[in-house]
Amino acid sequence: RLQKEQQYSEQHSSWINKAYRTLLSPVSRGLYLLELNGVEPAQETDCDADSVFLTEIMEINEKLAEPKNEDILKEIETLIRAKQEELTKDVTAAFERDDLQEAKKLLAKMKYFANLEDKLKNKKITS
Amino acid sequence: QVVDHYENPRNVGSLDRNAKNVGTGLVGAPACGDVMKLQVEVDENGKIVDARFKTFGCGSAIASSSLATEWVKGKTVDEALKIKNTDIAKELCLPPVKLHCSMLAEDAIKAALADYKLKQDPNKDESEKKA
Repeated sequence: RLQKEQQYSEQHSSWINKAYRTLLSPVSRGLYLLELNGVEPAQETDCDADSVFLTEIMEINEKLAEPKNEDILKEIETLIRAKQEELTKDVTAAFERDDLQEAKKLLAKMKYFANLEDKLKNKKITS
Repeated sequence: QVVDHYENPRNVGSLDRNAKNVGTGLVGAPACGDVMKLQVEVDENGKIVDARFKTFGCGSAIASSSLATEWVKGKTVDEALKIKNTDIAKELCLPPVKLHCSMLAEDAIKAALADYKLKQDPNKDESEKKA
């Protein structure tokens, strides 16, 4: 009986961890909200229709890839944070007026910036 | 194979996107946030003589685009359009969860070739496509 209880606790512990991680980041939180509303997150390739946006992401990636001093990294970090805040506001607004398709589009953009944030963190750790 | 193309990617870099015989494809995968830029240089006979890529994403995405640039070289534009993501995935033995990376590479090839074709055609009715 003790073993069953232990398994039960482990399972629930794991679910709680997963839930906490999901709610912690705005991107995963937003994507989960989409899922709850029956909207699938964007799966198809973004093509040149969003080329201005993709070019911007590409450029930030390229800047990050070069060896950089701390000041420039700070600049890039500030830029990424600003974009993420803006996007978070827009996603919130979209959810509030029930515009799930718009939320989906914006969350896809946020994903690119979340990746950039991770890369930047790794860069700070290794430099 | 994946590890080789990831650790020793071939054809990393850029071509002059303003050159008339260069086609640039810029694609993104919204699910994982990977971005891929693939460029081709085509000669007067419609043959791809050079290809470069820049990919920011997972190892499978980098390997897929590296392989894609290898494969398009020497092919004509029409032959290159036939390259399927399933071929790329098979060659690299990509696991199911990474199949979308090969799809991204196929889309990048198509986008680059579409861009090249658009530049050859003086009828610019799709004006929102960047050169």
